[in-house]
Amino acid sequence: MSLLVVDNLTISFGHKAVVDGISFALTAGERIGVIGESGSGKSMTSLAIMGLLPETATVSGSITFEGKELIGLSDKEHSKLRGDRMGMVFQEPLTALNPLMRIGKQIAGPLMIHRGASLKDGLVKALELCEKVGLPDPERILRAYPHQLSGGQRQRIGLAIALACEPALLIADEPTTALDVTVQREVLNLINSLVTLEKSSLIFVTHDLPVVSVMTENIAVMQLGKIVENASVAALFQSPQHEYSKRLISAARLAEDAFSQGGEKP
Amino acid sequence: MRKMLKGNISLIAGLSMISFTFFLLILSYIWTPFDPLEVDPKASFAGLSATHVLGADNFGRDILSQIIVGSRVTLLVAALSVTIAMSLGVSIGLTIAVAKRTYQSPMIYAVNIALAFPAALLAIILAAVYGASTVTAVSAIGIATSAAVAQVTRRTAAGILASDFVLAAHASGSGTWWIVRKHLLPNLRASLLIQASAAVSISVLAESSLSYLGLGTPPPAPSWGRMLASSQQYLFVNPLLAIWPGIVIVIVVLGFNLFGDGVREAFDPTLRRSEP
Repeated sequence: MSLLVVDNLTISFGHKAVVDGISFALTAGERIGVIGESGSGKSMTSLAIMGLLPETATVSGSITFEGKELIGLSDKEHSKLRGDRMGMVFQEPLTALNPLMRIGKQIAGPLMIHRGASLKDGLVKALELCEKVGLPDPERILRAYPHQLSGGQRQRIGLAIALACEPALLIADEPTTALDVTVQREVLNLINSLVTLEKSSLIFVTHDLPVVSVMTENIAVMQLGKIVENASVAALFQSPQHEYSKRLISAARLAEDAFSQGGEKP
Repeated sequence: MRKMLKGNISLIAGLSMISFTFFLLILSYIWTPFDPLEVDPKASFAGLSATHVLGADNFGRDILSQIIVGSRVTLLVAALSVTIAMSLGVSIGLTIAVAKRTYQSPMIYAVNIALAFPAALLAIILAAVYGASTVTAVSAIGIATSAAVAQVTRRTAAGILASDFVLAAHASGSGTWWIVRKHLLPNLRASLLIQASAAVSISVLAESSLSYLGLGTPPPAPSWGRMLASSQQYLFVNPLLAIWPGIVIVIVVLGFNLFGDGVREAFDPTLRRSEP
């Protein structure tokens, strides 16, 4: 049974369609990578699933999540799913955290909202979550403010918040773009192992082909609001069908070759 | 607190000037050199002397005593009108900020119209209907200032609501009320404090000008604004009469302005970020 079915989804602002009739489906535990250049509509798609599109957007088509139609769902009903059944990790780990709130309270937030936990119980659970996302010295971290932590630590916090209520679907919108390359790999491994552990489905949005190829089994390539190719990682690398996919792969190969030649210029 | 004050000259200077004003207020209930209303024809236009430290006015009333007692009206008007301005302005500003887009623009227009309405005119209308009194002055100043407070609150709140962490809070399922309480208000705090301190300076000046126009506290209760007004006639005979109330008004206004600056410095997250 499908966890999420996106059918002929179109999102437009005025007369301009930023997402143009895309369809894809996700079974429970399945992972899909969405890759595309900026403006291809990949972030808008994830915001539409979360129900967080700006008020000015008009949406048509259908998104079914756990058998429930999300298009036209009231914001109140949608917010019951957000942070509980579906979680989201954002690109900028610094700005995605409230600068004036201690980390502990921010992690406890979703538990207080969805599970009716008291702040005290929420903080106990937040401590466990901190350990789960591999943060050293969690007691100190819970008392800290966002600016006192490193980028990698902040993104781990973002992950802890998104996974607090053990969601069925995790949407990661370019979660490593703002991080150092060395930290990127750690965070990717963490997302990988946590999603496996929680048996969640994953939508991994990125513009970085090497990153997405280690994260997911299938990749949807988006360009100008359309899914131009939807294939498994292996199939995409062996025989890319669309012109844009070919360009993406040759660009990735170029980087790889340069790396294997020890950085020598051809 | 000590860390907040360290090196923050505006905050220290502002707080000292505010303390001085409150010292006058407390002193007015304990001791004044003379009864501020006591008329003494022999002392008319008395210069600075050991008996009348700051001199006396045309009726021979002691200036120092009037200044000390006048702090009551000024601070009372400031406190009440700032309370009105802040509670009215902040609730209107927040309502607009969290309202649906379609409802926002008519409300913004209404605030802009209120903003364009001159405070003095409002005070004259209120004084004409209800008679000139401290209450009239307080209401006029409070209502007039609330439009500006609403405007600034709405803009600042809109900026905060558009930020990533509010989107992230929505993504965790937070409702509007939760976001207002846990995310919006704490991040608005510094701006509100600055606005409140600016509103104090505005209302002190407004009270002085309303009293000057005869629309504020009626005589004989001493008020700094009216002292300034009545000294006008004798400006060339005894300019000192205008200088003393002028100085204390400057001290209050400058004090609250500096306090506002200092608070902004103390709460600025970019400065906090440099902490270890």
